Amino acid sequence: MTKRLNAEERRESIINVAKRLFAQKGFHGVSIDEIVRTVGVSPSILYRHFKSKEDLYAAVLHEFSCTRESYVDTVVNEDTSFEYMLRGMTRVFVNSIVNQPDLLKMEMHSQLEGHDASGEFFLNRWKSFTDYIEFNLSELMAQGKVASINVTAAALMYQAMIREVLLLKCLQPNERFKDTPIETLVDELITLFMKTINFKK
Amino acid sequence: MSHDAMLDAKGLNCPLPILRAKKAISELSSGQVLKIVATDPGSVKDFEAFCKQTGNTLLSSAEAGGAFEFMIKKS
Repeated sequence: MTKRLNAEERRESIINVAKRLFAQKGFHGVSIDEIVRTVGVSPSILYRHFKSKEDLYAAVLHEFSCTRESYVDTVVNEDTSFEYMLRGMTRVFVNSIVNQPDLLKMEMHSQLEGHDASGEFFLNRWKSFTDYIEFNLSELMAQGKVASINVTAAALMYQAMIREVLLLKCLQPNERFKDTPIETLVDELITLFMKTINFKK
Repeated sequence: MSHDAMLDAKGLNCPLPILRAKKAISELSSGQVLKIVATDPGSVKDFEAFCKQTGNTLLSSAEAGGAFEFMIKKS
């Protein structure tokens, strides 16, 4: 006999199945019927936890968008100069997507759908990078250690570069980049970024 | 609680608050206290982990009016 789950465990098991299905097929590609069949419960049990498919979808997006990475190890263990820190942080972030590509998939779904959660993805995940880059570049610019640039645009450019690599390596594997490991691509893009902003060590 | 230095990290996402705290602490002498104000909810866990890993003491961690206040004593 399978163990009876309490309400919280049941909710969690529904969310876990829904996370996988929504990431694979998007909001419109999944029916409540498929979700309850996969979980192995009746629709009435699902509706006890979630008012509607939209409600369940929002809960799934919320879980993904609130997934945060900790950069404490990078701060404590690494050289905290701009380039080292940025490389360390990016490594942590890229690994999170390599291990869980659904994170990026769901972020893209939310953006295409104009869902509120797309803002949460930015606040909880990408803002660590834009804040870090904007703050440091402003400081470095004042010290004459980088070219005179628009720091907001530079941070946006960085975000776009990393996003593109993740897309090519984790979501839409591309023939052209198949022999280059993701770590190498990311490392070289960071080198390129440092050159572009004319960073002087 | 009195403090010897203060760091305003409001509006900034981690790791910037802990990174700036690390720099501020390096300028203090042993036993001195740094007060940090941040708004990123992730900073609560991060400052706990940071202090655990660096051996500095997290004297207090409190929330007030949407901001988080931390007191860290340098080891």
